[in-house]
Amino acid sequence: MNDTSLSTKEQRKPLVYLVAASALVLLCGAAFAPDHLEINLGENSTWVLWDQLRLRIWSNLFVVAFFLLTIALGGTLFIALTYISGAGWHVAFRRIPESLAKALPVAGIFMLLVLGLRFQEYGWHHDWHGGPGTFWFKELWLTPWFWMIRSVAYVVVWSLLGKMLVSRSLKQDESGDTKLSDSNVGLSALFLAVYAVTFSLACVDWIMALDPLWFSTIWGVYNFSGMIQATLAVIIILGLLLRVQGRPLHGVFTDEHLHDLGRLMIGFSCFWMYIWFSQYMLIWYTNIPEETSYFIIRTHGSWGPVVVVSIILNWVIPFFVLLPQPAKRSSGIMMKVAIVVLIGRWVDLYVMIFPSTLISKPVFGIWEIASICCLVGAGTLLILRCFDAKNPVPAKDPYLKESLHYHAN
Amino acid sequence: MSERVILAHFEHEDDLLAATNAVRLEGLQIVDVFTPYAVHGLDKAMGLKPSRLTWVCFVCGMVGGLGMLWFEHWSASISWAINVGGKPWNSLPSDVPVAFEAAILLAGFGSVFALFAVCKLYPGKHIRMISPRVTDDQFVLVINEANASFDLSAVQDLLHKYDVVAIEEKLL
Repeated sequence: MNDTSLSTKEQRKPLVYLVAASALVLLCGAAFAPDHLEINLGENSTWVLWDQLRLRIWSNLFVVAFFLLTIALGGTLFIALTYISGAGWHVAFRRIPESLAKALPVAGIFMLLVLGLRFQEYGWHHDWHGGPGTFWFKELWLTPWFWMIRSVAYVVVWSLLGKMLVSRSLKQDESGDTKLSDSNVGLSALFLAVYAVTFSLACVDWIMALDPLWFSTIWGVYNFSGMIQATLAVIIILGLLLRVQGRPLHGVFTDEHLHDLGRLMIGFSCFWMYIWFSQYMLIWYTNIPEETSYFIIRTHGSWGPVVVVSIILNWVIPFFVLLPQPAKRSSGIMMKVAIVVLIGRWVDLYVMIFPSTLISKPVFGIWEIASICCLVGAGTLLILRCFDAKNPVPAKDPYLKESLHYHAN
Repeated sequence: MSERVILAHFEHEDDLLAATNAVRLEGLQIVDVFTPYAVHGLDKAMGLKPSRLTWVCFVCGMVGGLGMLWFEHWSASISWAINVGGKPWNSLPSDVPVAFEAAILLAGFGSVFALFAVCKLYPGKHIRMISPRVTDDQFVLVINEANASFDLSAVQDLLHKYDVVAIEEKLL
């Protein structure tokens, strides 16, 4: 790789091995392992090691791909939100969300590959001609080719707008032209309008359609809340890692920035809980069978504890730990909470997707561990590659001085 | 209670911050600092302890949330059980929105009224303005002269290093 890279080849080696090993495990599982494996323990008892293995591996890849894609999209969203609100505080570390935005095309292609690989998993694919409860518009909307074209269109539009936002910021490093900031404000407005519609639709098409007869009108907001919360966690982790002595953001990413990111993260944790509960309570209260199907699987029986774990990781821990002011300024606490939030994000997606594809009870084993290792390794490598260590700070941004002297309180 | 104080007037935020810091490090007693707007970093320059208002806010929020949860449970399923839509009497989800609102209401009001109480602020209170320009374009640092070792000329020299525009003595 080139000299603008953040890490040396030696440092990346363990990550490369991790990704290679876990990808190999998943690949071997998908190609050679039997779909159903059980060990006979003698008298009338068998130990089922796994069932529906291919579907399980696909569901794992789905969770991982959507996780990565929403982090990348969240970085773009963070940039757009800060431009449009005229924010200056974040400029010193803006290269972090920009590196996430640069990862969008790769993450998007990965997502599309996963979707294309096995999209017959979608219930509507088997009998999308007038299954029970279908409606002409739904049939039209879920026609496979139309569905696939839409999916590609979402990824292309997000990637293009993200690339434009980042490239103008990079151009400003050379020219110092403040008009570039102004034009990014307009572009951000466009991105936000496009994003609001397309992201809602993408969540409906990709995740909600796994269970084609179920619907929830708050689905897009629910996914948005998890996405922005996880993105903030990633920005915090990267900021903390990059501000260590000798790294590019040393002395640039200050406690003040950390404090504000912490405030945003605790805020969006509460927002996630608020939206989660809004969805749950209305469905519980109205008690209409076609709406309750989602929560009946997830709150009755063995999925129930997983939902509780997701609530603890995504809201209870971040809320109570980050409530005191000093916690939001402490590197150690913020790093731990950010990691908890990312684990919570995985559990949240797991409980969104797995009950719809596999339905049976929760599973956690080598395939989940392998896919998580794949996500952590490949995600880190991707972001490292996208972070331009040569220009780690937007040197000529008009708000840079404000950001460096920023006081959070 | 009267005390002799020095009022040091400044025109710029940066001068005020630096002077406040220097005065604190000198061991002088800062009575208060008056500014036309909130100056970031002034609490650190003055050496103020972290605010205890957050604890008031937290406790009030907890009392509001848990108290309302208990009240809803008591009223809807113990004292006068009502069947709403065939749901169980002690349905937690239906109690959450009101408990949430009550937590926010009490946390908000609790903080505001605790602030009023600590500042001894009430409607119709007569306020003696330390200098009319602190509501407009000047910053005033108030230093207590009570200490026996107080050396006026030394303090004046110190303040002049930070472009003080006026120094006056006053009996508070």
